[in-house]
Amino acid sequence: MIENLKKPEMNIPEWLTKKEEYIHKADKDSFLDKSILSLFRLLSRIQKQDKGSETKIKINVAINILCTFSLLILVSVTKSFLFVLIIGVYLLLRLSMQEADHLVRVLKTSFAVTFLTAVVMLPAFLMGSGYSSIMVTSKVLVSITAVGLLSQTARWNAMTSALKAFFIPDLFILILDITIKYMYMLGELSLNLFYALKLRSVGKNNKKYTSMAGIAGTVFLESKEMAEEMYHAMECRGFTGEYSVRKNGKFTWADGLYCLIHAGFLALFFYFYQLYRG
Amino acid sequence: MHIPDNYLSPVTCAVMGAAMVPVWRKSIIKVKTEVSKVRIPMLGVGAAFSFLLMMFNIPLPGGTTGHAVGGTLLAILLGPYSACISITVALFIQALLFGDGGILSFGANCFNMAFVLPFAGYLIYKLIKDNIKSEKGEYLGIAFGSYMGINLAALLAAIEFGIQPLLFHDAAGQALYCPYSLSISVPAMVIPHLLVAGFAEAAFTIAIVTFVKKVSPGTIYEGAREKNRALYGLIALLVCLTPLGLLATGTAWGEWGLEDIRDVITEGEVLTFVPKGMSEGFRFDAIMPDYAISGLPEIASYLLSAAAGVSILIILFKVISSLKKDKLN
Repeated sequence: MIENLKKPEMNIPEWLTKKEEYIHKADKDSFLDKSILSLFRLLSRIQKQDKGSETKIKINVAINILCTFSLLILVSVTKSFLFVLIIGVYLLLRLSMQEADHLVRVLKTSFAVTFLTAVVMLPAFLMGSGYSSIMVTSKVLVSITAVGLLSQTARWNAMTSALKAFFIPDLFILILDITIKYMYMLGELSLNLFYALKLRSVGKNNKKYTSMAGIAGTVFLESKEMAEEMYHAMECRGFTGEYSVRKNGKFTWADGLYCLIHAGFLALFFYFYQLYRG
Repeated sequence: MHIPDNYLSPVTCAVMGAAMVPVWRKSIIKVKTEVSKVRIPMLGVGAAFSFLLMMFNIPLPGGTTGHAVGGTLLAILLGPYSACISITVALFIQALLFGDGGILSFGANCFNMAFVLPFAGYLIYKLIKDNIKSEKGEYLGIAFGSYMGINLAALLAAIEFGIQPLLFHDAAGQALYCPYSLSISVPAMVIPHLLVAGFAEAAFTIAIVTFVKKVSPGTIYEGAREKNRALYGLIALLVCLTPLGLLATGTAWGEWGLEDIRDVITEGEVLTFVPKGMSEGFRFDAIMPDYAISGLPEIASYLLSAAAGVSILIILFKVISSLKKDKLN
């Protein structure tokens, strides 16, 4: 076989023999890495949520949302620092029952927001209204932690069924539902686009920032197409735009305890309210 | 046994703090290399136990109060190095948030309760357990180890108190810091601990070790059945019971406030002065001094403090465990 082949000519083209001194120019693509990382974080979080068994004690999402909202209102209205303190300790207790990575996520957001609030309130603190500035900052800390706990303990797709219980129009639920489901797919799509951009940017590529618009546009177009296709598919399967919730959620002891605790907070709020007036 | 600020001279505090540095270093290295990521939250549970046990004040003969520490308990459950870290963190939270134990004297308190207590208790426990190879031997080891551990810690605290008037006094011979010499401080601290607090510590230790062995042996022996829920349940129960600690109304020996120390009666004599180092010393205002919150009834604030302390400790160690990287092999 080999003998039959023509011997290849051994003259190497000139440009190949030239000694080339290519120095790889440093390129700035940290924004790409950052975008990829944050996308990954979002995707893995959604994936983890889908795996279920988030917390050992499951509380009915509708009750959870309702109680958290009532807590937020109570905390924002109250004038008693003690009440905020008690709610704070309660949230600490609930936080301590969470898994480590959830807990860290909640604390990160609440500390970041509280820090910002503290910076904003610093002039007021220095000007002499110490009580109110500390009050506002601690209220922010408590509220953000409560909301963080809600988003950690309740699965996103369970939220939609909870919204139905609050008589939210079906159209909103549909949009929210599709958003949550498509966040994952579109996230994957943009992740791939980012990889492509990174791989194709050999050497110094100054036009990367302009490609960002391209990525955004492609994702948008793709999402439009996917949404249309899914809506058609849903219609084919008999979806009329109405959401109906199957009432299979039983009222468990955990729900009861949860309601009881929050009813206790309501009573406590009025107790402190009376105390403040009197 | 929590030595407040200004009872020890700054020099003593510095020496004790310096003595703790190598202990902490060694403990951190040990915990880092030997405790897996999954088990680090158990250190938080241990710290919570210790924190709670220290809230149960027991009336002691002589009108003072004392409390168990749970040092030997943690050393048996988690190993002495982990126990050292756990108790250190519990003491730190107590000093910072609740003003129980001073900031300057933190090193001395750690030396007594986080180093000597768990290590001595564990050594004695190990010694007895290895020599008497039966279940009885083990329980004897637990009881004797914890009893001796807390008494050794009390003795050390008493010595630290007692050497102050000998070393630090003004020109007139008046003590600058703790006014009581060894001949008073040692019996005042050690006798009540020998008679009551030591037995309380032993009882708590045996009860909790037995409970853990029955319900969640995986906490002690790696690989066995582990049921953290039961442990958390026990902690919740202890939190609910903490107001019992308020029944003992006296102040612990050597933990008087500035207002009280003038009227303390020792051997029939009232101490008529406030030592200079105390009245002009370092002051630190804790967030909830003495586990009390102004405007709340005593029991409620005690409960709230217990819940807050326990959850902060558990959260802290969970955060630490999330920071620790999993080993690949």
